[in-house]
Amino acid sequence: MTNSSQTALSIHSISMSYGANKVLDGIDVSLEAGKVLGLLGPSGCGKTTLLRLVSGLLLPDEGIIEIAGRAVAAPAKGIALPPEQRGLGMVFQDYALWPHMSVAKNVAFPLEMQRRSGAECRDRVAKALDRVGLGAMAERRPSDLSGGQQQRVAIARAIVAEPPLVLFDEPLSNLDRELRECMVEELSDLVADLNLSAVYVTHDHGEALTLADHVAVMRGGKIEQLACPDELVSNPATVAVADFLRLGCLLPADRNGDGWQVEGTSVRLPDGPVASAKSTLLLPERAMRLGSEGPAQFKARVLRAQTRSTGHALTLGIEGTNHLIRLVSAQRARIGDLIDISYSPEELRWFPA
Amino acid sequence: MAKATTTGAEGSALLRWIATSGLLLVVAVPCLFIIIQAIFPDIGSGSLAAPFSLFFRTLSDPDLFGLAGNTLLLGVGTVFFAALFAVPLAALRALFKVPGAIIWDALLLIPFMIPPYIAALGWIMTLQPHGYMEQVTGINLAGLIFSVPGIMIIMGLNTFSVVYFVLSRTFETIGARYSDVGRVFGAGQWRSFWRITFPLAMPGLAASLLLVFAMSIEEYGTPAALGRRIGFDVLVTGIENRISEWPIDLPGSATLSLVLVGMALVAFMIQRWLLTRRDYRIVSGKPQASDKRALGLWAVPVSLYFGFITFLATGLPILAILATALSRTISGGLTAENMGMDNFNELLGKGSEGLVALGNSLALGVSTALLAGLLGAITAYSVVKGRGRFRLVLDALSITPNSLPGVVVAVGIILAWNQPWLPITPYNTPFILLLAYICILLPQPVRYATASLHQLGDNLESAARVSGSGPLKAFIRIIFPLILPSMVTSMILVFAVASRELVASLLVAPIGFQTIAVYIWTQFDQGSAGLGMAMAFCAIMITTLIPLGLIGLLRWLSKGQVAGLN
Ligand SMILES: Nc1ncnc2c1ncn2[C@@H]1O[C@H](COP(=O)(O)OP(=O)(O)OP(=O)(O)O)[C@@H](O)[C@H]1O
Ligand SMILES: [Mg+2]
Repeated sequence: MTNSSQTALSIHSISMSYGANKVLDGIDVSLEAGKVLGLLGPSGCGKTTLLRLVSGLLLPDEGIIEIAGRAVAAPAKGIALPPEQRGLGMVFQDYALWPHMSVAKNVAFPLEMQRRSGAECRDRVAKALDRVGLGAMAERRPSDLSGGQQQRVAIARAIVAEPPLVLFDEPLSNLDRELRECMVEELSDLVADLNLSAVYVTHDHGEALTLADHVAVMRGGKIEQLACPDELVSNPATVAVADFLRLGCLLPADRNGDGWQVEGTSVRLPDGPVASAKSTLLLPERAMRLGSEGPAQFKARVLRAQTRSTGHALTLGIEGTNHLIRLVSAQRARIGDLIDISYSPEELRWFPA
Repeated sequence: MAKATTTGAEGSALLRWIATSGLLLVVAVPCLFIIIQAIFPDIGSGSLAAPFSLFFRTLSDPDLFGLAGNTLLLGVGTVFFAALFAVPLAALRALFKVPGAIIWDALLLIPFMIPPYIAALGWIMTLQPHGYMEQVTGINLAGLIFSVPGIMIIMGLNTFSVVYFVLSRTFETIGARYSDVGRVFGAGQWRSFWRITFPLAMPGLAASLLLVFAMSIEEYGTPAALGRRIGFDVLVTGIENRISEWPIDLPGSATLSLVLVGMALVAFMIQRWLLTRRDYRIVSGKPQASDKRALGLWAVPVSLYFGFITFLATGLPILAILATALSRTISGGLTAENMGMDNFNELLGKGSEGLVALGNSLALGVSTALLAGLLGAITAYSVVKGRGRFRLVLDALSITPNSLPGVVVAVGIILAWNQPWLPITPYNTPFILLLAYICILLPQPVRYATASLHQLGDNLESAARVSGSGPLKAFIRIIFPLILPSMVTSMILVFAVASRELVASLLVAPIGFQTIAVYIWTQFDQGSAGLGMAMAFCAIMITTLIPLGLIGLLRWLSKGQVAGLN
């Protein structure tokens, strides 16, 4: 195999505008076969647009898109394959099941378009439906299914033809939370079992971190950071990424003679990067403990405390500042208490201000 | 040209070409030839000589002023009477508990099913000297019916249902939502009706009255049947006259057509503008159940009033038609010995002319419905999917026939397809009728298809494209089946209208080719009113019962199937 055929998707400096509004600006991404790319970002950042560019429902202004080593869109070379020639699977946010066809007919459609024999179609449709646990509902109408079942049909339709790349556009956002959590796990098993190459768009970072091998955090039409989930969580590239992933408390810090402190206060901080005089600091939630045993501490007052199934969700104010910290602790705390928080300085992340 | 931003959203190029060439053939060609003929009087002999010479002569012809003035007068008068009949009924229906309201609603649908020329003939049979009215009551009202106000009243009775339905729904919605608020603030029921409900209903009322105006200036049968006898000519009859009677005046009929289209266009534009204005939306909601007031002592007079108007609009014309159809001779009058099925036997006898006409009309109606439905669906799809200037042109072409009266379509088709230099032409074949009917009725399926296309999510087609289907296949497999139920409804309506269309049939039907309408019209002209009315009765039955049955069947079949459509 050549190197390029192991790349499921590669996107080179793609840009796209609606009129004067530049929606995507110089996007570069590539995805190995058998891996899942998560596209994560706030509403309106261009995730759906990027996905529609890959699927061929839109054409880019510039750049090159290759699917499984084949250029499918390259305006400079005049290449613009329509969606039907790209051989993809896609799951839409609103399911987009065809209401006049039975579940089985919906799922069989991509195979029919490839002119597969009737027997083969039936076989593969049954297999795909079994995979998503809907083998018994083949003859129903989509309108007779629940939302979760409908989305499973849509997933079956997207994978039935074993496409080299499957696109998911916020597939779970129409479902309620409980169902969503259960479907994320199912989906991640399915993706692993079938060794799918996929692009998964979502604005829910939990989903992205669970499902994706690589996550691209997008903001304002650009990719802010592209990394594996671990890296993303432990080493966010920018303040925006840390903020969007809600990794912890972001504090403005400045250098005052011999050391660092939270801007405008006398709360001392451990040593940071030496280069600049100001910085933004990430105090990750997972680096903090209640108590004074850790290598560095500060004091905080309990402002709010809620009981959750996973522990006590506390909102704390760093004493002497109006910065807030949210963390979940096993210990109970009373509102108004002044408590010690300890953390390890090497887990702090410093960003140029 | 703007760069193509989409591949998937553009739709099929083949369908785009079908829509464009279909509309050019059916709509643009007749329009174009009317304009050319109006400008170049000698185009028929292949000469572009003396452009505009006759155009301005016709425009400054006092005849034209007379015809245009009469047309306006008839339109305004019809609107007046339609409003007079409809507004009180609609207000009563919306604000009070009218006994048997549902039944009145159902009965008031019937005028939609009786072609106006048939109703007019029924009125003639009733009110003419020694007509049924005089035979039953001894009163002779011939002076009323053969007068300009008489024509207006009869056309008002034919059209007021449109206003009644729009207005009673509007009154109900507004009444429930806004007028009650007014009453909370201390306005009495009547005050709140006049100060809140009525003003808010104005756009809807105005739009429906404009529709009545457009219908009445485009109507041929009623002014032709009644107006001719008293020398009252309108543009439609003037055009028909110039193109069908010696000396034939093609440039004149073309110029008059342009004037008529201008008037219809203005009415249509104002109506569209009224309906798309934002404040109309507040009244487009569903009527809500609101506590209507009981009528008390007034229940009886109100019911009688409903009964009287409904009888005039539906019962009387139908009874007159039936009476005439069952009479052995007209002079025999309404006596038991004079009644019999003779006319029906002759009409439906083996190999009779009437049977042939019925067959022709049914075949034409079905073909028109299928072709107009298909072209309408493809056109609506291409407009919805289209981009830029192309979309504008297609959209304009598809709504043009809204303001093309049947007589104008006929003139355009004669002018276009009767040119001597054409190597082949559908002229003098039944196909020419098909062209005319499709042009007249195209807006109907386009409107239905556009509405149901807007209901489909974009992603349904996108999903098909990503699944490997080309644009044409996506239309055939996904879009078309999904809009089919509402297309069938519109095709049924097209069938009902096409199968008894009058004026275009009179003008462009090949010599010796009979349709239902032509048959009725000529029988009546030749004094065989009985045969004509027997045909009229059959036509009403066939062209309403078949569609009603089909619609019922469709509802029943599609239960559950289209439930998934939002
Ligand atoms: N057809 C369109 N015409 C003009 N602008 C558009 C169009 N579609 C999207 N946009 C703009 O492009 C930007 C990106 O839209 P896109 O749908 O890709 O966002 P998204 O990241 O998918 O957001 P969401 O999470 O809400 O789905 C938005 O600012 C949007 O307003
Ligand atoms: Mg989106």
